[in-house]
Amino acid sequence: MKSAWSVVFVKELKETLRDRRTLLMMVAVPVLLYPVLLIASEQLLLFGQRRLEAERAPVALVGDVPSGLVSIISAGEALSLVPIEASPTEALRSDAVAAVAVLGPPTDAGGTRTVTLFFDAASDRSQRARGELSDALDDWADTLLASRLSGRGLPATFAVPLAVNDSSVALPEEMGGYTLGRILPLLLVVITLLGAFYPAIDLAAGEKERGTLETLLTAPVPASAIVTGKFLTVALIGVVAAALNLGSMLLTFQTGALQVTEALNIEVSIPLWSVAVIFLALVPLAVLFASLFLGLAVRSTSFKEAQNALTPVYMLVLVPAMLPIFPGISFGPLLAITPVAGVSFLFRDVMAGDADALLATLVLASTTLYAAGGLLFAASAFGSERVLFGGGEAADVPRTSWLTRLHSLGREGRVPEPPVALGFVAMLAVLFFYGGVRLQIGLGERVLLLSEWLLLFLPAVLFVTLGRFDAVRTLSLRAPTAGGLAAGVLLVGGALPVVWLVGWLQSFVLPIPWDLLEGLEELMTAGDARRLIWLLVLIALTPALCEEIVFRGVFLGGTRSLEPWRMIVLNGVVFGVFHLSFQTAIRFLPTAMLGSLIAWVVWRTGSIWVGALMHFVNNATLVLMTSTPAVREFMSDPEAPPPLWLIPVGAAMLAAGVRLLPNRTEP
Amino acid sequence: MIRFSGLGKQYGSVTAVRDLTLEVQPGEVYALLGPNGAGKTTALRCLATLLAPSSGSAAVCGLDVTTSPLEARRRMAFLSSSMGLYGRLSARELVAYFGQLHGLEGAALGARVAEMVELFGIGDFADRLCAKLSTGQRQRVSLARALVHDPPVLVLDEPTLGLDLVSGSATHDFISRERGKGKAVLFSTHQIDEVDLLADRVGVLSRGALAAEGTPAEIMRRAEAPNLARAFLALVGDAPLAEGPRT
Ligand SMILES: Nc1ncnc2c1ncn2[C@@H]1O[C@H](COP(=O)(O)OP(=O)(O)O)[C@@H](O)[C@H]1O
Ligand SMILES: [Mg+2]
Repeated sequence: MKSAWSVVFVKELKETLRDRRTLLMMVAVPVLLYPVLLIASEQLLLFGQRRLEAERAPVALVGDVPSGLVSIISAGEALSLVPIEASPTEALRSDAVAAVAVLGPPTDAGGTRTVTLFFDAASDRSQRARGELSDALDDWADTLLASRLSGRGLPATFAVPLAVNDSSVALPEEMGGYTLGRILPLLLVVITLLGAFYPAIDLAAGEKERGTLETLLTAPVPASAIVTGKFLTVALIGVVAAALNLGSMLLTFQTGALQVTEALNIEVSIPLWSVAVIFLALVPLAVLFASLFLGLAVRSTSFKEAQNALTPVYMLVLVPAMLPIFPGISFGPLLAITPVAGVSFLFRDVMAGDADALLATLVLASTTLYAAGGLLFAASAFGSERVLFGGGEAADVPRTSWLTRLHSLGREGRVPEPPVALGFVAMLAVLFFYGGVRLQIGLGERVLLLSEWLLLFLPAVLFVTLGRFDAVRTLSLRAPTAGGLAAGVLLVGGALPVVWLVGWLQSFVLPIPWDLLEGLEELMTAGDARRLIWLLVLIALTPALCEEIVFRGVFLGGTRSLEPWRMIVLNGVVFGVFHLSFQTAIRFLPTAMLGSLIAWVVWRTGSIWVGALMHFVNNATLVLMTSTPAVREFMSDPEAPPPLWLIPVGAAMLAAGVRLLPNRTEP
Repeated sequence: MIRFSGLGKQYGSVTAVRDLTLEVQPGEVYALLGPNGAGKTTALRCLATLLAPSSGSAAVCGLDVTTSPLEARRRMAFLSSSMGLYGRLSARELVAYFGQLHGLEGAALGARVAEMVELFGIGDFADRLCAKLSTGQRQRVSLARALVHDPPVLVLDEPTLGLDLVSGSATHDFISRERGKGKAVLFSTHQIDEVDLLADRVGVLSRGALAAEGTPAEIMRRAEAPNLARAFLALVGDAPLAEGPRT
């Protein structure tokens, strides 16, 4: 008997190939992309040239006009000489001429004759005419120089003591690979993505929307056979799209039929073995996309909803795919195991002709691994009744609060295991340091902001949703009570003198990074209100949300099964380590203390909002204090202990905070 | 043939079906009658192995749907109320696809598909894509699709929903014919007239629970109502009808 998955596969393929949209994405776009692009660019080039040639720019020569110059200009193709009556300026203004050269009086044999060029800097035509005229003058000057030299019996080379030639060591074919290697990986990844995008939505969400899933699942075949059949269809279409794209690209460039290679001065020859490597890497990539998209799409109830859900993922995948376009990023083991980025870089190197076997193996192995993970993800969705029918009817179920709906996103009560949570934070740390900190150098504050959102917040959200964890429980999303919020504020305030004291004690042992402190102070000092608001967003609000969702959200939620004190100390330590860098050992202890304090409060209140508020208050206080000159004076010496009066105030705040703190802990 | 034993189903905090117990014999047509939102679809989906019961159990031909779902599906035709057909397959291809999923192939598959095309009068449009068919034509294709493996048990969720009189009565004829072949038919509806017309026995479902069960005559007698419609209203009288269209 034919196996069920192959029955499903054949049917899905047949149906998909009857879909015009898929055909467009799978065949038309990949195949026609390059020829169309090239023909278009060539036409554009020709068009531009023709226009320039058609039109000789009118120019005028004023003064004592030498015949040598006139014959040079009339021999050329760009300019025509016209007489003018009016002054050069007026002639230009009236558009009678595009440029005018006013020649000064001739000089004796060794002198310099002046020529003044009149032109209109606001007009392209005039600029071009001036360029041509100036070239003609240069040519004329060369003939004058030559005759002067020969008049004295000197060779023409006498006035050319040095000739500089450019010579690139890249072979012409390497050049081609180099240029292509930057764009092609991105194109290949995009085409694979696009190829898988619509079929995945259609085969999962579309099937749900049309109500066919219900009948399909009453057929006596296991869900795994259905997923396999569907998944193979989507993956195959992704691979075929990418392969067609690759083939079309090779044909377009390598046959030279369109002669672009000449125009672009590159020579493309991609050896067969590298085409094979590229293909080898494309297959697991397509598998990864297919399973990821299918697994996500089946969670949506309609085509449109799935499109909305998949588009951000699509965008997100483009980011690593685009990395090879940026110069100066070198391909190493870490990038090799980064999803999508590894494949993209491998393509780049393969095309430039210097792929590293070890890195290639890493890319292939890790991509295969991710693809397997994606498959599990997709399979789990198809096995789940909640996914298949849970949301299907939700549209007309009475509207529930967003908290309840968040609950129903994941399996109720499910939180990550401690090792999973720790692994996730470790991964983020790596991502943050390689992706974030490196990018930050020289790129400034906006990148800092972006990296917090993209490398902390977004992964945390994806982790919880894709992992199908109970978001409310994992992230402690319970609404805060007034008492909890007040306690949180009192506790951070009260902790300030303690943190200060610790900092001061540390200063006896640890070196103080003066440069860094000054830099920080400069960064945090706001001169005006706009700057202050920006700083509050950048330094207080953003970490309060992005860092809290990671540390007091996922990490705290995932370590809940530990003993409370362990969980709280671990949270602080990991938070401290995350903020560690070579110069900032001194910040470790205060940061860890703050982390533990917030972890304790979030655990007690069950509300991450209290933690976010505490984090915000803490950081905002720093910004405000540094921006207030009087306070800065008073606080800026890290070698000074906190003033004595601050200690009882802090203690009182701490005590009040502890009293106010509600106990809403849950196991 | 069909047996529900104390079956209950909850969606989160919503109880859609509670403690449902009923049996359908071979050659019997059983109507599950209830207003929108009563839990008919939920009960039938549990039987069709699409949903896992929260409590109790259901069985088809003695096969428990939770422990042997694939075996149970082989013995059952399930028609969902949405009549889902694959738009880019032709009617013939669709029936053949489900035949293959049921393990038919080669000449046996061809013969069976031809038989279904003949039986349901699909011939005229068998090679047209399903997306281009009228509602009545789609219904016939759906029935052919559901019955391609000739199962002893038929489970139909609102089989006449959205059909005009002609197609509706064709469906009724089909149900009577299957009864004549000794099949056990369980169908859900909210329309009294088709219960009157077809059902040997009826179970009135109200808010997830069976409010009454018996032949139509017994139900009328018990509710002291002049007709089935009155009896039905009396039984489900205060049930929330305003929950919106639920299929
Ligand atoms: N997927 C679901 N999630 C939550 N509630 C549901 C779901 N499906 C049905 N319900 C609820 O279960 C009850 C019964 O629905 P259903 O079985 O569709 O009724 P019927 O088919 O009799 O109209 C309704 O109150 C409905 O709102
Ligand atoms: Mg229904």
